[in-house]
Amino acid sequence: MWYENEGNNKETVLSTKVVISRNIKGFPFPPKMSDADRENVLGMVRQASGSMGLNFVRTDELDDTAKADIFEQFFAGYQFLNNDAKTGYLRSKTEGLGVIINSTDHINIVSMVPGSDIETAYKRADELAVKFEQSMDIAYTDKFGFLTSQIQLVGTGMQLLMTLAIPGIEKTEGAIQVLQRRAEKYDWQLIPINHPDGTRENGIYVLKNVATLGITEQDLLSRAQKVQADIIKLENTCRKNICTKKKPIVEDQYYRSYALLRYARRLDIAEALTCINWLRLGQDYLDTSEADVDWQKINKLTQRVRRNYQDSGDRVTRPKDRAAARAALIREIIKGGKE
Amino acid sequence: MKCSRCGAQIGNSFVKVNGMLLCDNCARSLKIDEVFRRQTDIFNQAFPSLDVFSLGSELDFSNTKIRCPRCGTSLRDIEQGGQLGCIECYNTFNESILKNILKLQGSSEYMGRKPGDRVDVELESEPVKTEVKAETKTKAEPEAKPDKDILERLKNADLGTVSDEMLEQGMKRAAEVEDYALAVRLRDELKSRGEGN
Repeated sequence: MWYENEGNNKETVLSTKVVISRNIKGFPFPPKMSDADRENVLGMVRQASGSMGLNFVRTDELDDTAKADIFEQFFAGYQFLNNDAKTGYLRSKTEGLGVIINSTDHINIVSMVPGSDIETAYKRADELAVKFEQSMDIAYTDKFGFLTSQIQLVGTGMQLLMTLAIPGIEKTEGAIQVLQRRAEKYDWQLIPINHPDGTRENGIYVLKNVATLGITEQDLLSRAQKVQADIIKLENTCRKNICTKKKPIVEDQYYRSYALLRYARRLDIAEALTCINWLRLGQDYLDTSEADVDWQKINKLTQRVRRNYQDSGDRVTRPKDRAAARAALIREIIKGGKE
Repeated sequence: MKCSRCGAQIGNSFVKVNGMLLCDNCARSLKIDEVFRRQTDIFNQAFPSLDVFSLGSELDFSNTKIRCPRCGTSLRDIEQGGQLGCIECYNTFNESILKNILKLQGSSEYMGRKPGDRVDVELESEPVKTEVKAETKTKAEPEAKPDKDILERLKNADLGTVSDEMLEQGMKRAAEVEDYALAVRLRDELKSRGEGN
């Protein structure tokens, strides 16, 4: 899967996502659309995408297996996939690149890459956006730019999101607040990932842009790169400080976590993520020769365990004993098995 | 003449909003007619109260009377959900209101590319990882400090004797040069003073 590939700075940046939203003139935005409007938009987008090498699917007519496949390959949310309204999805041959139709806007182009490669993520999404704009009458004014259903996106219609694993910053008192302030200076937001069931993903944060007006695409991406570099630098400093100053404690936690992940028969998500965070924290700054773990395994574990958080749709087929299945999967990854 | 919303023929009675003609039924269903009806009431009264005159002159988010003639979205809907219903909403809800909302972004001026234009975005190739690793593996000290004076002074000072202003200034400076240990110490000192009050 694309998200398991090696990406730049994957010790800290799990993935980078660019979402570009566009709407077609002559139709209300999706929340106010009738079924007939939805059908028309699906048809128009499908027709426009004919020469783009994209494969059209009606998501409201997919079975669970096909939904799971799209979720797995493209990270399309289950909330969208389980939506009964007339929605569609354009799958690209490039993993992580696709187009959501009739969700929050008529067209949401989503491009995800592993690691910190902002430029690739943007260029893939923007290439599709330009093609749609050239072949359809897109809602745009000189004053506001691209018109979107959500006011906070009007302008470039672009959202850049980076998923960050920053256990070092989180465990350093006050560092998250310092970082949030610095991000705000560049018009960015650093937010923890909270789930509807009240749980929170330890050590995982999303960094996203606030400004879509008053800024060019070039400036937005340059700022993103600066903020990203700051965070990576700070995270490494924090990891090093913690591992140096509290070496006996961190080393103990590292190997306890490794043992738990390697041998446990049942693991819930929060516990598994906490253990993975300890591995992430100490991997570069401790003597880890006794643990059979490398960065590829740590990232694979993180992604796989996190997906359990995300596949919370009602109609998702779940193993009866998820904690046991999760523990088995984790053991398999650490052993270097096919999973 | 036809109604812009439902396409029905319009007789003598109609409402015109933002250049769109609406039949009686549509105006009623969008609750636009109430605003106009109340305005005629105003003229029938000898001494209407001032607040009646102010109706509709200054939009605010609590105003649910004004709705988008095309999709029926009200300002309150937008305030609550942050979502517009259609492109016409951008015209219906006037500039000053949108500006208020766009304050979130600090600017309301569009500077991005035009539809269909290709913009060659070039980012500096930044070998962040190797730089960071090399630095963190070899350097124990943070980067060179431009404001060496204030940071050096604060490092060696008894923080209890330092003014709030200097602590704040030092905290900002320490964060800028990424001396987070010092920044946290200064923040804790400031915090403890706040709690002491």
